[in-house]
Amino acid sequence: MSNGIVLAASAWLLTCAASGQTVGFNQDIRPILSDRCYTCHGPSSTTRQSKLRLDLEPPASARAEILRRISLGDKPGHMPAVGPPLTDREINLIKTWLDQGAVWEKHWSFNPPKRQPVPSGANAIDFFVNARLQREGLHPSPQADKPALLRRVTFDLTGLPPTPEELDAFLADSSPAAYEKVVNRLLASPRYGERMAARWLDAARYADTNGYQTDGERYMWRWRDWVIDAFNNNKPYDQFAVEQLAGDLLPNATLEQRIATGFNRNHRGNGEGGIVPEEYAAEYVMDRVDTTSTVFLGLTVGCARCHDHKYDPIKQREYYQLFAYFNNIPERGNAQKYGNSPPLIKAPTSAEQAGLLRLDTAIAAAEKKFSPGAGQPAWEAKLPPDTDWFSHRQLDPANTGDFGFLDRFTLAARVNASAPDGGIFTRMKDDTDGPGYQVLLKDGKIHVNLVLRWLDDAIRVETRDALELNRPHHIAVTWDGSRYAEGVRVYIDGAPQPMKVNLDQMNQNFAVPEPLRIGVGLKGQVTDVRVYKTNLPPAEIQVLAVPENLNRIAALPPAQRTPAQRDKIHRAWLDGFPEWISILDLREQRERFYDGISTVMVMQEQPAPRETFLLQRGAYDHPGEKVTRGVPAALPPLPPDAPNNRLGLARWIVDPQNPLTARVAVNRYWQMYFGAGIVKTVEDFGSQGEWPVNPELLDWLATEFIRTGWNVKAMQKTIVMSATYRQTSKATPELLQRDPENRLLARGPRFRLPAEAVRDQALAVSGLLVEKVGGPSVKPYQPAGLWKELSGAEDYKQDHGDALYRRSLYTFWKRASPPPMMAGFDAAGREACTVRETRTNTPLQALDLMNDVTFVEASRGLAQKIMKAQKIMQNGGLDYGFRAATSRLPTDRERAILMSAYNYNLDRFQTDPDAALKLLGQGESPRDPSLDTKQLAAWTNVASLILNLDETVTRQ
Amino acid sequence: MTRRDLLKSAAGTAALASLLQADSDTALPGIPHFAPTAKRVIYLFQSGAPSQIDLFDHKPALAALRAKELPDSVRQGQRLTGMTATQASFPVAPSLFTFAQYGQSGAPVSELMPHTARVVDDLCFIKSMNTEQINHDPAVTFCQTGFQLAGRPSIGSWLAYGLGSENKELPAFVVMISQGSGNMSDQPLYDRLWGSGFLPSKYQGVKFRAGNDPVLYLSNPPGVDPAMRRRYLDDLAQLNDVNLREFNDPEISTRISQYEMAYKMQTSVPELTDLSKESEQTFNLYGPDARRPGTFAANCLLARRLAERGVRFIQLFHRGWDQHTNLPKQIRGQAKDTDQASAALITDLKQRGLLKDTLVVWGGEFGRTVYSQGKLTADDYGRDHHPRAFTIWLSGGGVKPGLTHGESDDFSYNIVRDPVDVHDLHATILRTLGIDHTKLTFKFQGRHFRLTDVKGRAVTEVLS
Repeated sequence: MSNGIVLAASAWLLTCAASGQTVGFNQDIRPILSDRCYTCHGPSSTTRQSKLRLDLEPPASARAEILRRISLGDKPGHMPAVGPPLTDREINLIKTWLDQGAVWEKHWSFNPPKRQPVPSGANAIDFFVNARLQREGLHPSPQADKPALLRRVTFDLTGLPPTPEELDAFLADSSPAAYEKVVNRLLASPRYGERMAARWLDAARYADTNGYQTDGERYMWRWRDWVIDAFNNNKPYDQFAVEQLAGDLLPNATLEQRIATGFNRNHRGNGEGGIVPEEYAAEYVMDRVDTTSTVFLGLTVGCARCHDHKYDPIKQREYYQLFAYFNNIPERGNAQKYGNSPPLIKAPTSAEQAGLLRLDTAIAAAEKKFSPGAGQPAWEAKLPPDTDWFSHRQLDPANTGDFGFLDRFTLAARVNASAPDGGIFTRMKDDTDGPGYQVLLKDGKIHVNLVLRWLDDAIRVETRDALELNRPHHIAVTWDGSRYAEGVRVYIDGAPQPMKVNLDQMNQNFAVPEPLRIGVGLKGQVTDVRVYKTNLPPAEIQVLAVPENLNRIAALPPAQRTPAQRDKIHRAWLDGFPEWISILDLREQRERFYDGISTVMVMQEQPAPRETFLLQRGAYDHPGEKVTRGVPAALPPLPPDAPNNRLGLARWIVDPQNPLTARVAVNRYWQMYFGAGIVKTVEDFGSQGEWPVNPELLDWLATEFIRTGWNVKAMQKTIVMSATYRQTSKATPELLQRDPENRLLARGPRFRLPAEAVRDQALAVSGLLVEKVGGPSVKPYQPAGLWKELSGAEDYKQDHGDALYRRSLYTFWKRASPPPMMAGFDAAGREACTVRETRTNTPLQALDLMNDVTFVEASRGLAQKIMKAQKIMQNGGLDYGFRAATSRLPTDRERAILMSAYNYNLDRFQTDPDAALKLLGQGESPRDPSLDTKQLAAWTNVASLILNLDETVTRQ
Repeated sequence: MTRRDLLKSAAGTAALASLLQADSDTALPGIPHFAPTAKRVIYLFQSGAPSQIDLFDHKPALAALRAKELPDSVRQGQRLTGMTATQASFPVAPSLFTFAQYGQSGAPVSELMPHTARVVDDLCFIKSMNTEQINHDPAVTFCQTGFQLAGRPSIGSWLAYGLGSENKELPAFVVMISQGSGNMSDQPLYDRLWGSGFLPSKYQGVKFRAGNDPVLYLSNPPGVDPAMRRRYLDDLAQLNDVNLREFNDPEISTRISQYEMAYKMQTSVPELTDLSKESEQTFNLYGPDARRPGTFAANCLLARRLAERGVRFIQLFHRGWDQHTNLPKQIRGQAKDTDQASAALITDLKQRGLLKDTLVVWGGEFGRTVYSQGKLTADDYGRDHHPRAFTIWLSGGGVKPGLTHGESDDFSYNIVRDPVDVHDLHATILRTLGIDHTKLTFKFQGRHFRLTDVKGRAVTEVLS
């Protein structure tokens, strides 16, 4: 199979640099030394083979020898000792550098950005880009035409194409500020936040599943929505960073600030049975260190996990000092197989917060209003004989006890045991270790076992004290659905019992389709069994435990009644009031409402700090020396007022003195607009990274970002307002040859749309797009069986209705099986932090765009719009459809090809009307029945052609 | 309009050069580093980890130790999985299955693998495989990518990147999955196991599936026939050419050729997966399952057809070997799924003269313990994960036939001779393809990554 083009790395750029008079150490020499020499002559003490270090200024005495050794070719003593010899060009560069005095510089990105002056009135971006072009003897290209420009900037800022109306308005606006007005409108659109969030989700390895073996679902969409809101509210980048890294440590942290810390919980969690938890606990921390360093600092500190960094000044010890900042979370290495793993919080949306408030207010009001009066004694006096009472609310009607690990429940009974062993409640096969649950007596202790696998997937607890035999006791067990041993409570005669935990490692549901058995193998009696679908609070357990019926209690003078007896008869009396019943209804409603609120995983500090050790060779089971929190010595120290914790680290990252943070951020923005960063290795600003193609420009943008208070929207606007951005992307053959990758920007950027925009555009132009910001992820079309064939477990369950047409940002992301269309169009895998955008050009993409129901249905949607436009204006349909996708009218030639295609298809469908119906039957959106099916089918294929144009899937 | 016309219209030499490049997906410069003995690989991955003790690693001395505690001197305090680490005892569980020696090589094979037993003289057993990983996800990921955590390219992607493709109408790296009849409910797989990691995504494995669309989105939508598609592609090429003339972007030429390629795949893939022209004799060779799409046997037959067409790396995954409990029952079914077809593939390739330059690898991600997980009874036991010793076999592609390399101790627990780890296996596979594993690299995050990370040694002792 033939594959897409990978343009060869343009070595000529370096050649051009070398043709200058002075050789720059950082620009020309360090890349050679780093790549070819540092493993043995670099910062890593473990791999260093010689006293000579080339990551420091080499002594004058060594210079002649260096030159001699690198010039030996393959003769004995040649350097580099490993790999091919240096090229002549490389040797010449080093020679020139040595001749010029071997000026050594600190690695460029560790120096603070230097802001070069810009002539007044000049646009800084254009000034620096043009300066470089001038040096190369190149000239900028003219501005792109208005339709192309509008389409480009609309995609870049909102991820969607302009509507025909927006295009008309822009074309009609001949004022000089027309373009700026558009930019302002786009930056104010809620679509802007969705567009910006998409790339941040890649960087933050956001997904809807836990990864690893089982890859069960998790719920982090509240964090995703926080990101969208942050962009739309133009949260300054420094706050954006601090809240995500350490929002929980801010004074009086708000719910939103705590949700923000989900950033560093988006890593995968391993719930596979049998793992060694310590191994994965360490992996999670390492993921945080690596992600944080890549995203904010552009540093590959992960290289120092096993040994000192071979290229950059980061010691292994310093890696674990960073590790220490993230190593203090109350978490476990064995993550939950399904759902969120602690620490987690309930994360009500603003609508849900309002709902809770409404219920709480209603409950308070009802309670305040309710005054039952003083009728209880009179009621007691009239009790019929043999009256007892217990709460009927939330009783499990058939007493089946069909509960799983997320269900609250209560099991209660009176037990009179004559021997210390035997079952009380069991919902598992007899004489097995599960799966299922059991409450049983063993050596007189009450054991509660909630079991999927006895040894490694269960909660097993027992009471500290034995039950007294040969007398009746009330026993109650409650489970709160929390998945932790502390969620099991055992009461004897209403009194909560101290518990001993035998295993606290529940990972999966223990529910089994077994009947509930009572008293299996027990010598004695079990009576008065009650099963509730909620975990009754202690007070209600006490009431349940009261053995006396109402008549017996009523017979006691109130002062002689125990509190539980008083409570029981009082509740029984209240049950007669409809107002009381409605209060109970409301409380129950609140419990259900609360249970339905999504949680989100967050960062949290545990009270007693966990010790951190350097891990030898990066292995969790080979701890070395103890280390404490600290930042790498090659970078500035923590700000004096910053605490030495995650919050301090976050403040250090966004401190204006940090030479990396602003550069790394603006470089990533640049990549969004130009297809590649000013430093192409957006993930690596270390010595193995690329020398910036325009250092002055990068530094100006970085200093500008800080100067404007890290104003994210302002930075986007600065970039898209430049003439550099607005150039036409048409290339001459000469320019193509000179700069195939367009790094110098003598023309506008032209590249394929990101995966999500390819699909979103199709939904938008077909009229299918359903716009709604945020909410749980959705499951649009996907070929059947993809999940099942990987796991044998449950298959993907596609949604219907609006969920099929939401923006791709909201598509459910399963790590083991990402949405196939997204994966095919180069979307990041979301397993680990990804910041570099990549694009390939493959036949599988062609198959998807032509045949995937998503695009076939969108073609039909666009065809319907074409036919409606056709009715309004004679022959206007084709122009409408073409323009909807490309923002321009077709040329005569294009029109001729498309009309001929239409006539051909119409002819075919007229001959075979069933084929037309089959094609139109694709997709779940209703077909417009007023349109002729043969014509609609023919237009559908024409619309598909339009959606498959290279131009359509490209922003040019 | 023909492709030649398009070439003429593609302005500029860069566009021309790129278009040519897109058409000739060849090996990286410098490759091969050695004379290759294999042109392609078929990797029959036994997912879940087969029990070496019950299949190939015969330990007759265990019979006398049945139900005795595994000596501490054997375990040496090595870590166990959380599933058995807290188990009260570790009773030795000899295999319930009888072994005999076969062929001139006299290789021992259990009664579970009667067909494999007949081809042992074509196989090279490595009985000293070991890995650092004790859980499925990291262990399979390690086997596939040389690293236990997700994010690196899979072995097939490395080869597609390094060697390019021999067939212009099929992907260089194809994956097929089947579910065994052993453990039905465990060991999921993940798309990333054939993902390209940090290599360009065009190198990722393409999954061939049973059913109407062997490749995702291969079929035209209902109502669109091949003639309409042909006409569609001609129209699309002309339309794209209009834009190409204006923008001169070589990506447009590439897109035009990729649509042509897609069209070719619409023909070549169904032709490939259509087994109707295979002979009765062939079906008899592979067994009745070969007629059921999606089975291991059908996938083996497809693997041969892919090999014939020059696909570089063909990987089958067969799930169901994770037999913690009821192993004797589960492994019977599992062996039945795989034995005949694996042996048939060797025979078939050999008959067609393909075995000499096709390397076949059979094996899982680790082995299983000699001690029983759960209760050991007269006819039942389970086995937990065991990373320290397991068995795989290789065949063809320049591998010495009839050889057994390496040896485990009497408990099939530790290696006593010639250990081979996963990196070594990778280095060996690469070596048969003419690649020095230290020289197939890709620079990412400042580092020259390779499949074998910082380790690996080609086991030249098993190569002829």
